[in-house]
Amino acid sequence: MLDLLWLIPLLPLAGAAVNLLLGRRLGKAAGWLATGLVGLGFGLAVAAFLDLLGLPADQRVHVANLFDWISVGTFSVDVALRVDPLSITMTLVVTGVGALIHLYAIGYMDHDPRFGVFFAYLNLFVFFMLMLVLADNYLLLYLGWEGVGLCSYLLIGFWFERPSASSAAKKAFVTTRIGDAAMLLGIVLIWLHVGSLDFGAVFGRGASELTEGTATAIALLLLAGAIGKSAQLPLHVWLPDAMEGPTPVSALIHAATMVTAGVYLVVRSHVLFELSGTALTVVLVVGLVSALYAALASIGQFDLKRALAYSTMSQIGFMFFAAGMRFYTGAMLLLVCHAFYKALLFLTAGNVLHGLHDETDMRRMGGLRADMPLSAAWFAVGALSLAGIPPLAGFFAKDQIVGFAATSGREVAWVLASLGAFLSALYIARPLFLTFFGRRRGREQAHEAPGPMQAPLAVLAFLTVVGGLFLGLTAEGGRLARFLEPVVGLVEHGEAALPDAALISISIVLALAAVAVAFWIWASGRVDWEAFPQRQPELAGWLANAFYVNTLYAWLVQHPGKAFGRVLTVVDDRVIDGAVNEVAEDVVDASGVAPRIQRGFVRSYALAFLLGAVALLLFLGLRA
Amino acid sequence: MSTPIAYFVAVSAMLFAIGTVGVLIRKNALVIFMSVELQLNAVNLALVAFSRMHGNLNGQVVAFFSMVVAAAEVVVGLAIIVTVYRRRQSASVDDLTVLRG
Amino acid sequence: MAADEIVFWVFAPISIGSAIAMLLQRNAVHAALFLVVNFFTIAVFYLVLGASFLFAVQIIVYAGAIMVLFLFVIMLLGVDREETLVERLRGQRVLAVVLGAGIAIELVVAIRAGIGFATKAPANFDETVNQGGNAQALARVLFRQYFFPFEVTSVLLIVAAIAVVVFASRRRRAITRTEAVTAGHREAA
Repeated sequence: MLDLLWLIPLLPLAGAAVNLLLGRRLGKAAGWLATGLVGLGFGLAVAAFLDLLGLPADQRVHVANLFDWISVGTFSVDVALRVDPLSITMTLVVTGVGALIHLYAIGYMDHDPRFGVFFAYLNLFVFFMLMLVLADNYLLLYLGWEGVGLCSYLLIGFWFERPSASSAAKKAFVTTRIGDAAMLLGIVLIWLHVGSLDFGAVFGRGASELTEGTATAIALLLLAGAIGKSAQLPLHVWLPDAMEGPTPVSALIHAATMVTAGVYLVVRSHVLFELSGTALTVVLVVGLVSALYAALASIGQFDLKRALAYSTMSQIGFMFFAAGMRFYTGAMLLLVCHAFYKALLFLTAGNVLHGLHDETDMRRMGGLRADMPLSAAWFAVGALSLAGIPPLAGFFAKDQIVGFAATSGREVAWVLASLGAFLSALYIARPLFLTFFGRRRGREQAHEAPGPMQAPLAVLAFLTVVGGLFLGLTAEGGRLARFLEPVVGLVEHGEAALPDAALISISIVLALAAVAVAFWIWASGRVDWEAFPQRQPELAGWLANAFYVNTLYAWLVQHPGKAFGRVLTVVDDRVIDGAVNEVAEDVVDASGVAPRIQRGFVRSYALAFLLGAVALLLFLGLRA
Repeated sequence: MSTPIAYFVAVSAMLFAIGTVGVLIRKNALVIFMSVELQLNAVNLALVAFSRMHGNLNGQVVAFFSMVVAAAEVVVGLAIIVTVYRRRQSASVDDLTVLRG
Repeated sequence: MAADEIVFWVFAPISIGSAIAMLLQRNAVHAALFLVVNFFTIAVFYLVLGASFLFAVQIIVYAGAIMVLFLFVIMLLGVDREETLVERLRGQRVLAVVLGAGIAIELVVAIRAGIGFATKAPANFDETVNQGGNAQALARVLFRQYFFPFEVTSVLLIVAAIAVVVFASRRRRAITRTEAVTAGHREAA
């Protein structure tokens, strides 16, 4: 089976090609084709996974070299796919959750005129994402990286007739570009200092040959790329706007897979990051700060999807936080569990949008659990999981990370992380209560989504409930941790000031308290939260506008950019065009003068002769 | 002969210059032609003077041939002027500007 | 002063004067007549320089044939009317005079550098070169050394004669495009 590894990314690529060319003729079948191919990919990934399990733990690496890609002088890169515990985990998540979201999208995008194109783009995205996670060298990873960025642009701006959508797509692309450029520099540095881009060479030879300074530079540059792609501070501004895309896109790309690519990159390159203490610290700080920032911002959002978007940013912040503490297994556990419950939350939000005819403002929702009991249930499962209520998946993932901060001696980080966990519970319970509980503020009767759309949600809910138990529950951190250990190593758990039981209790209490507070504020009707923006306009403004980061960027980058653009326009018109026109005018003027030499008067010509003769004689005379 | 030869050649030079100026200044085609004849004659004079100076007759022979050719040239040139005059009713060279740029 | 010196110093001013006068005449016939005077003076110079044959030929051919031809044409065409004095081309007159003077000066300087103003002709030209008279001496050179050019020039004369006959006897034929265009130009002008 491992020999057929190349089929896994190839199937969705074929699907994309078929749907782009024949999409219109296929109609509904385009969706089923796309879903089926991704599902088939999942099946193949499961087979590969089982094959991998059949190997002894320290030999679970298989590299399939497909063909020579680039060979120029001393620079040579092959298209090679690598299967090891880390990449197969990502592959299973991408294909599994991806297939479920494809299935959901068949129902959601049912009336869209560009149905086939949508699925082509989705398949194309899956292809690139798989290339990213299965790559055995940095250049191939970068190919996938750029590809998912492209698909993100195409899908965010899928309804491109909406100016807000096409702007959001451009914003996403340009913002991640900044990170991508830095990442490319990092890759170049790797090649310059290690001589190869293959993971085996870089993490083996490179680890021993790189100086700390170089490693720091490389790690920070790669991190910049990860920050852009995973929407962490300061390159996060594109993610909330990316919610302009259709909800399945938000679920797949901006929750479960693409935004986690940054985490994958850091975990995959952990060898390089560990060579530099500075880099790891930066990862940690970026993650923690982003987590707290996004949590506060989420509380201030009234748009359901934007609240979920900031939630994603916060959760990924936790993943980076874990990675920064070298707790890679913890980061990966959160990644996998987050994929389950975030996809669930987004798709349920899709149900709500579908039912309310694209209303996203939570101030016009409320009390929808009467109309949409099933969706309410799914959302509750997802929200409570994110909040960290046991025994749901989120509890295991979050608690391990927060606990690790305590047991590794990082007390301040532990306090902040616990605060972040409290805020997480708060900010996710809020949309739950605002949308499905409380007084009905909207005017419409929402209708529940049809059966086919509910099926994937059921699966995801199931995974959310049992996933944590299955993957994360043992003394050493769980099955997933043990599975990933050969790749990322196992970290020792130290001792904290408080015993483990106490830590767990604190985190459960915080989560429950946050949910209770959220219920009291937004669902009980006893707090007039609607008046908050008028009573505290400044604070409300800071929260709603996510601390005015967008405004800052506009002032810092856009205005100078536009001014520069205006200058360039003037230069283009007056200087460049002017120069060209000037030359043309000069030629015309010269051609106006030239005919004056030949006016047809023989006597002028004769005078010219004489002038030449005299000059010649003079010349000859002076020479002699 | 006691006049220095250079004096004759100097006269020839001055006649040549006058002829040149005439070609440039006058507008009547015939007068221009006459100026050209003046130039030719000036050259003939120079030839004969040098012939005297060198003590052989080559200069005179060349002057002789020059006269013959001048005669033929005048004949053809006048025929041309007559033809042009017939077409354009004007003997002024300033009216012949068809070859302008 | 020897005889030739007197002759030179009398006829040189006449020569140059008549040339300038020819230049300045507005009436073409007057100009032609002044040119005739100039030709006569040149003929005298030939005589002084020992080219008596050329003296005769100059008068017969130049003054007698060529200038008569000129006068024929002038009178035939009736172009003896006064030429307009307005010079259309800017700077033409000034430049012409300046350059003409320039030519003259350059030539005089060249003469001075070449042969100097003191060189006199060898004395016994008549005895050595013009033995038997200028005509016979000329014939000796012409029909021996310069025989081929002599024949060629005779061909030249025949060709010229034929050319003129063709010119003159041109029958009316269709007007060429160039002629039509120029006629149009003339009408527009």
